Amino acid sequence: MKELNCLGMRCPLPIIETAKGVRNITAGQSIRLLADDPATEIDLRAWARMTGNYVEVVGVNEFLVTKAKVD
Amino acid sequence: MVHITGNFLAESPLSPKAREVLGDAIDQGWSEPGKLAHSGARARILRDEALTSIASNLGLRSEEIEVLGEPSLGHFFSIAGLLRPTDTLVHSNVDRKEVFAIARNHDKSEEVPVETSGRIKVATLKKHSQNEGVFALQVANGETGVIQDVEALVNEARNLRLACDFSSAGTRVPLPSRWDSAYFDAKSWQGPQGIGILAIRNGAAWKNPLPHIGHTRTPQSASLPLMIAAAVALEEWQEKENEAEPRLRSFSEELRREIAATIENCDIAGDIDQSLPHITSLSFLYVEGEELLRRLELAGFSVDSGSACTAEDLQPSHVLAAMELLTHGNIRITLHHDTTSLQVRELISAIKLAVTDLRAS
Repeated sequence: MKELNCLGMRCPLPIIETAKGVRNITAGQSIRLLADDPATEIDLRAWARMTGNYVEVVGVNEFLVTKAKVD
Repeated sequence: MVHITGNFLAESPLSPKAREVLGDAIDQGWSEPGKLAHSGARARILRDEALTSIASNLGLRSEEIEVLGEPSLGHFFSIAGLLRPTDTLVHSNVDRKEVFAIARNHDKSEEVPVETSGRIKVATLKKHSQNEGVFALQVANGETGVIQDVEALVNEARNLRLACDFSSAGTRVPLPSRWDSAYFDAKSWQGPQGIGILAIRNGAAWKNPLPHIGHTRTPQSASLPLMIAAAVALEEWQEKENEAEPRLRSFSEELRREIAATIENCDIAGDIDQSLPHITSLSFLYVEGEELLRRLELAGFSVDSGSACTAEDLQPSHVLAAMELLTHGNIRITLHHDTTSLQVRELISAIKLAVTDLRAS
C-alpha cells in the first residue's frame, strides 16, 4: 500500500497531498496517510464527504484513505 | 474596485451617532456618579438616562440590568451567578471559550452536541433537565450565525435555570418566554467595545459570584461615556434595524447562492433560515485560510477566519469541527447596516478570484 507522510505539515497541505495521492491510484485502492496537524481528521472527513472517497482513522495520526470513484 | 476595509470585519465599526456623542459624553460624564458634588449629580443623571434607554430598547426594566466594563466577564456573571456548587452546568459544544472555562472550573458539567445544522438536538437536553442546574444557552453563534431553536430548548430545559447568551444575537432574537439571566454585548448593535449588559430576571436565584461587600451585584466599573455611547448606538440601531434586516438577509442569501453555484467544494455553515441575517461562514477545500484572508484584505475586504492557521493556538475552530464542516480555507463574513449591494457583489467576485487563484497555485 502506498504511504503518504505528511507529518509536520499544516492544513490544508495534508488534504491537498491526499487528493494528489488519490488521483494516482485506482478505485478501491487505499493510501496510508500519516499526518499530525490538529485539523487533519476533521478536514479529511469533510474532504471525503465532498469528494465521495472514504477515510478511516487507524491509529494515532494515521489514516486509511480509500478511493471510491474514478475522478 | 471600491476599497471598503472594515465593512466585513467580524467586529462592527462604531455607529456614527455613538462616535459623535462620545466626545460630549467624555466632557460631561467624567465624574463619579456616586459622589455628591454637582458634577457627580450630572453624571448620575446621564447614567440613569443611559440605563433607562438601554433597558427599554432591550425590552427590559432598568432595575433588571447591570452595565459591565469588562464584556468577556459577562458570561461568568450571567452563568456563575446562577450556579450553586452542587448544580450541573449544561452547555453546548459550540459555546464560547469563556463558557468552557467556567465548566472546567465547576464540579459537574455536561456538554450537549449540536447537529451538522449547528443546532442542539432538543431531545439531547432531556436527560440533563431532571437535574438541578443551569443551562448556558447560546442563543446564536457568533461564528456561524446559527440561531438555536430557543423556545423548544427552553421548554425542554424544565428544572434548569437559564443563562442566555445574547452577545452575538443582540436584539435580533427575542428574549425567550422563560430566562433567569441574559447577557448582551454593545458590539452587537455597533456600540463601543468594552460595554456588556447583564440582565437579571430571577433576582432570587442570582448572586454576585465575585467577592464583594454590601449589595452590589456587579463591580460598577463601566465607563460612563462608553455607556452613553452604547445607549445612543442602540437607539440608532433600533431605528435602522427593521428596514436593514430584510436587506441584509437578502445579501446573505445572494452571497450563499452565488458562492454555492460558482465555487465547487465549499462548505456553508448552517441554514440561512435558521441564522442571523448578517453572518456567513464559508470554507473552501484545498485553500489556506490565512492566504485567503490576505488576498481579500488586498481587495479591500477585512474578514475573519476560523482556520487553524489563523488561530493563535493553531487549533481549528471548535464550532466548525462540531458541525463536521471543513475547517481550513474558512472565512467569516459579517455584514453591517451600511453594507451595500455593490459591496456584496464585489466581495463575491473577490472571493471567486482568490479561491480560483489559490487552488491553481
